[in-house]
Amino acid sequence: MAAIELVPKPVTIKRIIEESRDVKSYVLQMSGSGKMPARPGQFVEVSVQGYGEATFAVTRISKDNQEFNISVKRIGHLTKMLHRAAPGDIIGVRGPYGNSFPVDEWKGKDIVVIGGGIGLAPLRPVIDYVLEHRKDYGKLEIVFGARAPDDILYKEDLRIWEDDKGISLYKTIDVPFEGWSGRVGVVPIVVKDLALKPDGKISIVCGPPIMIKFTAAALRELRWPNDKIFTTLEMKMQCGIGQCGRCNIGEKFICKDGPVFSLDQIPEHAL
Amino acid sequence: MNKWYKMKHADMQKFVSALTEKWEVWVPYRIDGKWEFGIYDTGRDLDFPESVIHVSLKNLFFPKRRPIATYDENSKWSLKPVEPEGKPRIVIGLHPCDVAGIEYMDKVFLQSEHKDVMYASERKRTVLIGMLCSEMADNCHCTDRGLTPDATRGMDAAFARITDGYLLKGLTDKGKQVLRSEYLKKVDEVPDKKDWPAGRYVIASPEEFMEMYDDKIWHEMSDICLTCGICTYACPTCVCFLVTDENFKGKGERVTVWDSCQLQSYSRMAGGHNTRKTPASRVRNRTLDKFAYSHLRYGQISCTGCGRCVMVCPLKRSFPQLGARLTERIKDKKKGKSKSGARSKEA
Ligand SMILES: Cc1cc2nc3c(=O)[nH]c(=O)nc-3n(C[C@H](O)[C@H](O)[C@H](O)COP(=O)(O)OP(=O)(O)OC[C@H]3O[C@@H](n4cnc5c(N)ncnc54)[C@H](O)[C@@H]3O)c2cc1C
Ligand code: SF4
Ligand code: SF4
Ligand code: FES
Repeated sequence: MAAIELVPKPVTIKRIIEESRDVKSYVLQMSGSGKMPARPGQFVEVSVQGYGEATFAVTRISKDNQEFNISVKRIGHLTKMLHRAAPGDIIGVRGPYGNSFPVDEWKGKDIVVIGGGIGLAPLRPVIDYVLEHRKDYGKLEIVFGARAPDDILYKEDLRIWEDDKGISLYKTIDVPFEGWSGRVGVVPIVVKDLALKPDGKISIVCGPPIMIKFTAAALRELRWPNDKIFTTLEMKMQCGIGQCGRCNIGEKFICKDGPVFSLDQIPEHAL
Repeated sequence: MNKWYKMKHADMQKFVSALTEKWEVWVPYRIDGKWEFGIYDTGRDLDFPESVIHVSLKNLFFPKRRPIATYDENSKWSLKPVEPEGKPRIVIGLHPCDVAGIEYMDKVFLQSEHKDVMYASERKRTVLIGMLCSEMADNCHCTDRGLTPDATRGMDAAFARITDGYLLKGLTDKGKQVLRSEYLKKVDEVPDKKDWPAGRYVIASPEEFMEMYDDKIWHEMSDICLTCGICTYACPTCVCFLVTDENFKGKGERVTVWDSCQLQSYSRMAGGHNTRKTPASRVRNRTLDKFAYSHLRYGQISCTGCGRCVMVCPLKRSFPQLGARLTERIKDKKKGKSKSGARSKEA
């Protein structure tokens, strides 16, 4: 008989990337013929044996689905153990779970990606996807904010995106910092300053709850309709498959009906 | 065998004892005045309550602590799934509301993209022999939920108590198989039909409940509730759980453990953010889950009317009572008597 879905499968840590002072990314390799066919926006449950599980967005997927990345912010029990892990270590994974960004429905549109801190993690696969299918999409605009220069993730990617003529990249930090000559100001303010118009565009927003809330408000002020603003929500999760009950907003399970929603699909109090 | 057969009380004991040779047999026991299912010891006196058994059957299908994998603590990775096992089992004496509880668990664990194979195995190994209730206990209100205390839906076989023994009837192939017994005598008798009272707790529609989301009544309701969570453990349809690793002397187990939405830790995220910090938000979550969310998800509200939450509550509150109170408020609102309160920002 097949094992219960809640039991993870082993994956090997192939590479660890130190992203910022409290975030590390992991390139994970599936065992044997295992695959991780994650679509942009989906997440996985990651286990360290003896320490339980936690939920992480898939942040990059290899073409053959045998490797994928996660980015982990050190914040508690399990994330501390992950930060102690070394390449070659075996950890557990199950998934992918949840719905995904409807990237195919967005063909022909400009894509505006707005990320705050670790919130860029679940959005990066959308950027990868759009860059892989360049002809199918219009312009790509990326607004990325971090608390301080030390908190900026994906520095390698940012360099590539910065050099890419087809991408408009706006990097910002929350407050002035010595040696930082770039943009300063929180993401919602930057969004307002850029006066991003909604015509022919889709925006996807992820970051801390407060950032999502105020960015959504800024976009609405710029006359963006709710069905063109997408976000990925975070609630406390355990099972990831709509059974343990806890990740609900109203009748919706964030793990199963989400985590991706357009703002017209969720009640206002969910933000 | 589509009709009723009769068995004498003394024969029932022999019949059930004989079943234990091949089956694990569960029957109700009265312990300190309360009824609870336990494995039958051959020869022990058999008795059945007129209606509700205090402890629900949830634990038999979805145990409060359930190892799903084991590992050696001294290795980095040796996690192995626990294979579902257990000998064929018969539960004798459950009631229609117990069946309704199991049917709800089936919706959560079986009608899922990721079917819970351990739950499926517990279901598969179990034959359900239900007992028709002969009365409704103080807190029983299944009839408010469209159930009938003497309905046999979802049972493999059913029986009713009569003055000098029992009337039994096989309903499924499994049930008929179990009832193949020399102690059964063909009779013309059928169990008495009764008119059952309804209307103990009148409950508004799921849509009307949803409209109460922002009402201040949740604060009033949480003022009269300890948010201790005992109602959720007693409830046959509360199946929230957490997944955790337990290490003991080098041997590790990954387990699912019952959890409760009434507890503050339930929705607390790493870093301390909690989407259901206040008791009011948690009382709202459970009440709406029973009477509205469940309906929106599965087409059926998840309160079976068993009344167990009232029986275990230190304050003798119950969710159906809270639901009824809410229903009163909905009616008042419609008449324009009451205004809704400030909006709460929690999930
Ligand atoms: C869809 C989704 C996607 C996510 N994606 C990412 C991502 O890409 N990257 C990322 O870094 N994070 C992500 N997260 C968040 C991540 O899941 C959490 O940061 C992670 O679960 C933290 O685990 P921990 O064990 O280290 O934290 P802990 O704080 O140890 O958390 C364990 C749990 O224990 C409980 N707990 C903690 N302290 C106490 C206490 N004092 N008393 C009682 N209980 C307590 C809490 O309920 C807590 O949630 C995502 C979350 C979701 C839902
Ligand atoms: S609630 Fe109804 S079915 Fe359940 S024990 Fe009471 S009378 Fe029987
Ligand atoms: S809410 Fe109360 S009455 Fe309803 S099913 Fe649960 S325990 Fe029984
Ligand atoms: S995480 Fe268990 S129901 Fe969503």
